[in-house]
Amino acid sequence: MKRVAVIGASGFVGSTLVERLRAGPDEVVPYIHSSGNAWRLARHAIDLRPLNLLEPAQVEAALTGVTHVVNCSRGGDEVMLSGLRNLLTASRKQRVERFIHLGSVAVYGDPPSPESVHESAPTLPAPGSYGSVKLQQDRMVAQAAAEGLSAVTLCPPNISGPYSSYLTGLVDALRQRAFALMDDGSAPCSLVDVANLCVAIELALVRGPRDGSRLFITDGEVADWRSVVEHLTPLAQSNGPVATITREALADMRDGPGKQPISLMKSFKHLVSSDVRQALRKDPLWERVDGIFRRGVARMGKSVEGALRLAIEGPLANGATASKPALNARLCRQQLRGVGHSCEAARAALGYQPLYTFDESMRAFAAWYRSHHAMDSDAWPLLRQLYSS
Amino acid sequence: MPNSFRLALVGAGLITQQSHLPAALASPLAEVAAIVDPVVERARQLARAYGIAPRIASRVEEVLDTVDGAVIATPNDSHSALAITCLSAGVSTLIEKPLASSFGQGAAIVEAADKAAKVVAVGYATRFRASVRLLKQLLDDGYFGTVHRFVHQFGTAGGWAPMSGYNLDRAMAGGGVLVVTGTHFLDRMLHFWGYPDDVSLEDDSMGGPEANCTARFVYAHSGHAFEGIARYSKTVQLPAGMVIETDAGYVVLADDDDAEIVFRPRATPGIEQVIRARTAADYNPDVPVFQRQLDDFIAACCGNQAPEVDGRQGLESLRLIEQLYASRRGVDVDPYALIGERSAH
Repeated sequence: MKRVAVIGASGFVGSTLVERLRAGPDEVVPYIHSSGNAWRLARHAIDLRPLNLLEPAQVEAALTGVTHVVNCSRGGDEVMLSGLRNLLTASRKQRVERFIHLGSVAVYGDPPSPESVHESAPTLPAPGSYGSVKLQQDRMVAQAAAEGLSAVTLCPPNISGPYSSYLTGLVDALRQRAFALMDDGSAPCSLVDVANLCVAIELALVRGPRDGSRLFITDGEVADWRSVVEHLTPLAQSNGPVATITREALADMRDGPGKQPISLMKSFKHLVSSDVRQALRKDPLWERVDGIFRRGVARMGKSVEGALRLAIEGPLANGATASKPALNARLCRQQLRGVGHSCEAARAALGYQPLYTFDESMRAFAAWYRSHHAMDSDAWPLLRQLYSS
Repeated sequence: MPNSFRLALVGAGLITQQSHLPAALASPLAEVAAIVDPVVERARQLARAYGIAPRIASRVEEVLDTVDGAVIATPNDSHSALAITCLSAGVSTLIEKPLASSFGQGAAIVEAADKAAKVVAVGYATRFRASVRLLKQLLDDGYFGTVHRFVHQFGTAGGWAPMSGYNLDRAMAGGGVLVVTGTHFLDRMLHFWGYPDDVSLEDDSMGGPEANCTARFVYAHSGHAFEGIARYSKTVQLPAGMVIETDAGYVVLADDDDAEIVFRPRATPGIEQVIRARTAADYNPDVPVFQRQLDDFIAACCGNQAPEVDGRQGLESLRLIEQLYASRRGVDVDPYALIGERSAH
């Protein structure tokens, strides 16, 4: 019997894996970082063990008697790198038989090169990006494997299925009209259902590469964005068709408002704006200065006071001039990735067969979403008032 | 009683750090005289972080002779013993919600307070929201017409992680998400409409604390019958708030300290009205709810008036929670099972 430690057990993949493994013959030891996100597992009355990956002694003690490790942990760069180092060191010390690391297709960059249909494509993450941290992790796993730890790195694209925060985010964006389909939505959307990913992890516990190399785990078919949106639109309950955007406009879209040029007039307006003056008035000296300033302006008459206010604060906000909702650039730009990663290598190395098709996975997500939001209950006519607030 | 109300903060965990201590420091009425925590270093660190020098102790008994009141913010199953110790020594207590982890323990607290003739207040801070006070007044006045039904929901994908981790221990917390999250609304519901005539609960507990639940309530005693539903989740982010359906329309109140009451009249779809009080509030609206709550507690201790949420009201919440759990039905649906035949490919 295997004794499987799941690190990061309270996360999306970790929780699903623990629930699945508990139904099998092996012993599962779930390790969590904090109690806040662990409710899904706690309801089973499972013994959840806190673990700080940044404490080497704690990590080593946690792996005592463990035969297999699945690393689903996430966190800041320090946890991702120093934490993984501690985990790999402890795994070697405790003679762990098999180490499964959850990697990411993000190591191939964003957008990835067209060759990244297969694992052998060059890795090109932007410096400082999530993908670059994941690539450093992959190298650490490969190094540990070279030193004798039997390891494999499983690389999912975006993860779908029940509890998927990725799909939930898309539903929210569709509801807020913050998502637009590029061209006709024909770009590929690489997904893996969380249950399919767990099947691959379970297989990798007992077979597959030992050198830490990467295997893509996907649903085994490449869906397009229009299909994804068609599954999610009924959940968003928004009126009208989904907006469209051209490839060129999407490529130009920034993640944020961008850097603004320096303007002395703008800076002066900020300085004398009511928000800044309100903050300054908390100091007794500035309160007096502001009082003198306001009395001086008031003496100039209403028309001068009004003109000054207009110049500094701009026109009063008017509901009738509300602008179009902003698009969620991070989500929309994913349509530029244009690659459907292949799981053929995982099929060959692990005997992996996805348990659910893309269509089944999306229907399972929809069933879960509708149930958790009570969309089919007698409460929905009232609850939906909260969704339109 | 000295000019400044000498306060002991019992428990130096997250809620004390984030809410009770800042409220005490901001209150013109209170002086933080002591911080008590079994992990003394945690109490010391908290005092250092705020630049104050209260007495630091590992046991509440060590500070009772030097304080006028205590805020008890510890795991739910420890409230009873700590509160009874304070009250027996003549120290009034403000107890973080819920009053205790069981009705029996809560009743013992109320009994100890009666015996000592001291104040017990329960930390249902949302009662001090301006919107909640206004809504209570409007419902009492029948401003929105006859209530037909109501819903409330609050869901987060995880979140709040107390240092002790007691929230995931059913015995320590006295339940699951219904207690940890839902108890605030149950208190408000009791405040608005009194104790319901019938209740039921569905939840997803498989032996541990439930992560999702739906409670149903029936009111039949107020001349006309109406029903309500309350839903809580620790796995899914849900738009948080209450909707009341009346014969005149929908009353919507988001679950937020600064939210305003919105009324959507049935007669004019597409139009909504924001309802505000024109008269001055009986408190400063710029003061955070935790400070209003603390000031209310201190006023109760000093002026012999009842606190906004007293021990007996806290006890009614516990009675309702226990009645809900007694009626519970387990529901755990596998979403994959809902899609029919699976097909390996």
